[in-house]
Amino acid sequence: MNILTCEEVRKVYGSGSNQMAALDRINLTVEKGEFVAVVGASGSGKSTLLHILGSVDKPTSGKVTIDGTDLSKLNQTQAAIFRRRKVGLVYQFYNLIPTLTVEKNILMPLALDKKKPNKEYFDKVVGSLGIEGRLQALPSQLSGGQQQRVAIARSLIYRPALLLADEPTGNLDQKNSREIIDMLKLSNRSLEQTIVLITHDEKVALEADRIITIEDGRIINDEGRR
Amino acid sequence: MWKDYSSGYIKNNRSSGMSVMIAAFISALLLSLLLGVFYNLWKYEIERIKEEEGGWQSRIVGELDKDDIAVIKSFANVKDVVINEKGTKEQEAMTDIYFDDMGDVLSDTPQIARMLGVSSEKIMYNHELLAMYMIRDPKDTAPRLIFPLFILITGIASLSLIIVIHNSFAVSMNARIHQFGIFSSIGATPKQIRSCLLQEAAALCILPVLAGNLSGILASMGLIHILNRLAEGMEGRHESVFGYHPLVLAASLLLTAVTIWISAWMPARKLSRLTPLEAIKNTGELQLKRRKKSPLLTCFFGMEGELAGSALKAQKKALRTASLSLLFSFLAFTIMQSFFTLSNISTRETYFERYQDVWDIMVTVKDTDVDSFNETEKIQGIPEIRSAIAYQRAEAKRIISEDEISEDMKSFGGFSQAGQQDVKETKGGWLVNAPVVILDDASFLAYCEQIGITPGLDGAVIWNQIRDVTNPDFRHPKYMPYVKGENSTSILRQSGNEEITAEIPVLCYTDKVPVLREEYATLDYYELVHFLPVSLWKEIKGQIGGCREDTFICMLARENVTLGELDALQGQVEGLIGGNYHTESENRIRKTEMNDKQIQGMMTIFGSFCVLLAVIGIGNVFSNTLGFVRQRKREFARYMSVGMTPEEIRKMFCIEALTIAVRPILITLPIAVVTVGYMLKASYMEAGEFLAEAPLIPVGVFMLAILGTVALAYYIGWRNMRRINLAEVLRDDTMM
Repeated sequence: MNILTCEEVRKVYGSGSNQMAALDRINLTVEKGEFVAVVGASGSGKSTLLHILGSVDKPTSGKVTIDGTDLSKLNQTQAAIFRRRKVGLVYQFYNLIPTLTVEKNILMPLALDKKKPNKEYFDKVVGSLGIEGRLQALPSQLSGGQQQRVAIARSLIYRPALLLADEPTGNLDQKNSREIIDMLKLSNRSLEQTIVLITHDEKVALEADRIITIEDGRIINDEGRR
Repeated sequence: MWKDYSSGYIKNNRSSGMSVMIAAFISALLLSLLLGVFYNLWKYEIERIKEEEGGWQSRIVGELDKDDIAVIKSFANVKDVVINEKGTKEQEAMTDIYFDDMGDVLSDTPQIARMLGVSSEKIMYNHELLAMYMIRDPKDTAPRLIFPLFILITGIASLSLIIVIHNSFAVSMNARIHQFGIFSSIGATPKQIRSCLLQEAAALCILPVLAGNLSGILASMGLIHILNRLAEGMEGRHESVFGYHPLVLAASLLLTAVTIWISAWMPARKLSRLTPLEAIKNTGELQLKRRKKSPLLTCFFGMEGELAGSALKAQKKALRTASLSLLFSFLAFTIMQSFFTLSNISTRETYFERYQDVWDIMVTVKDTDVDSFNETEKIQGIPEIRSAIAYQRAEAKRIISEDEISEDMKSFGGFSQAGQQDVKETKGGWLVNAPVVILDDASFLAYCEQIGITPGLDGAVIWNQIRDVTNPDFRHPKYMPYVKGENSTSILRQSGNEEITAEIPVLCYTDKVPVLREEYATLDYYELVHFLPVSLWKEIKGQIGGCREDTFICMLARENVTLGELDALQGQVEGLIGGNYHTESENRIRKTEMNDKQIQGMMTIFGSFCVLLAVIGIGNVFSNTLGFVRQRKREFARYMSVGMTPEEIRKMFCIEALTIAVRPILITLPIAVVTVGYMLKASYMEAGEFLAEAPLIPVGVFMLAILGTVALAYYIGWRNMRRINLAEVLRDDTMM
């Protein structure tokens, strides 16, 4: 069952002679429960793809469908609610709210919907990410690796259809990188979480079930490893 | 969650919260002050109307009997009915009606008239009073502008405040674009972000709004007190008693809330509409769209000057209010001070100093001719009075023949430059105005002695002087003989009917005038003034007529008289003649004081306006610098990371502060110099005379106050900025 479909997706920046295609006719499908790594050199278009998949940005043309929702038809408010419920985003620089505790950062997507958390699921997520002892700490009191785990926990708390991770290990040392990848894999396996991971690190990409290589805005290789 | 987020933000960012709170406090203070003053002006106007016109709302003209009065009194909405004795004239009585609910006066009064069988033409409304309650009769076409004016000024004040304080909210909100980008990326809707920002603004502003409103009430109380003090003793003015109504407080709170809500809503709306990508990418740093150079700052201060110039250009929009407010406040203050100084010198020279030894007490005896005023001798008999001249002016005409004109006057063209309204050419010569000043006999005789002729009551003394009309400098006029002064008689003619004449002997032609508070030949340069004793005037009054309505008594007390003595003397004179005549009197020292008070009052009002403008500008500078830590920490961290020392950054701050504060001064000075130059030219005053009293101290104090407060704002910004941990800022974006 396809959870993500991209059809002829283009993203063009600039106008006239300054036009530059960041994505050029991308066609892509991702099945539920897949762990996909998107690799490419800097400027190849992988972050643009992630922003479009996360409904943070819109394609110039083409169609993106996630869990049956056509992203091009969403207005700003609908896109926000879609992100909240269907997509979990993990960034290289964590993007945590510095004035909120770890617990409140994690529960933020639910709080935006005025929903109470499922205690069992919450405990499971924070337990599996190893941050159950730091729930009352502020982000500034955590190490980089711990902050990234909080970001992952936040992205998983709504059980999204798709988890999008943009260079989640880019700011971490080797040990912490290893742990973060293991946690993503664990969530993929134990929670059947679909993950699209953007990275330029081949070692990290090799942990995924499928590696898509992008160059100059085009998919030049799509290789399954399972 | 929002509550936690906002309270955490407020707690951890007191300085940027402080700028919002200050902005809210200032807005509440100003709006409350404005409404408090307006309410009191409105109240004062109603008191004035009631005092002058009466507090009736409608009135029926015509005879009404007791039964009619009873009918009116029994009307449901009627509170009281009063027969107006004062207004009764020519056998037409006036019945004043007071209503319980004034709002129905326009419908109830015609009904009452119908019940009484009185035609609607007999109804009168107190339009001026009703307009104060916004009750307008369509038939009343007079412009009643007090309410539209209040609403317009309040609206302008509210709009100005929105323009000024929205920036404080914008600085505080924009510093967190990145954080709201994160919220947006995890699914917060624009509405949720907007609501969060507005709730935050509300939480920050509640206390300042209440405090500002209370302070505004106190300030309006103080202002009314000051106005009362300044206007003390002013004719036709009653003491204003400060009052306040709960509705004014409610209106003030509502207006403040709306003003602050719009100010917060504008940046909140803008921020909530950013896409998450735009918001996350935003570092909140000052950006320049195009490269702009600051050659002067670079030339004077080197690299720090260039950086400061770029930063100021990047903040141009945020600092626009500050730039304009500071410029206009300083410009207005400088020009106002110069204008009042100049006006003060002019009034002093042309009035107070000129008449210093001319009068101490002036009494105007209303509707009385000098020949029928019988109290002159009594006044002259008061021991404390050095001299008292009773006089009256009358209009007359005279023909000046070609032969009579002096050689000096001929040399500048005779009557060739005279206007038709002053001089008419006739067969025998030129018909000119010949104002007659009629002096009591004793004073006339004294005048004769003063000018060195044999005192006599059988002729006139002619002031034989004419100004060089080719020289428009009224401050330093040149006089010359008007006529040759050979004629031993003068033929006066009735003004408007010049055929009727009276020939009077001329005792003397002179260049000296009696000691009176009068000006001669100021508007009509060609008038030939005749001084006559009252006994001679009685003989020709029938032919010449033209007397002005009032008689004046110009008195001099002993030298170096004090205000207390003059007040007592004034009271004594009034007591002596007040019973028999309708009089008005004034004394010189009190008039000087009143004049000073009026100028002070005007300067206080205009000065307050300038200070208010400056406060708005400085408030804007403060709101900007208090938001520095969030907005500019990356900029400064980057400077530091490339080796800029804290001292160099401090220098950059000083250059920015100096530029903001000095720019209005540099722009103002040439404009002020040109304006003052023009005013000096128009008033024929020497530059040295003005410079000796130039308002350098108040302008300097105002200038230093601007410099000082801008420096303080930047010092606070610098102090907050010093706490930056360079490594943290460059490494950790969660601080963003």
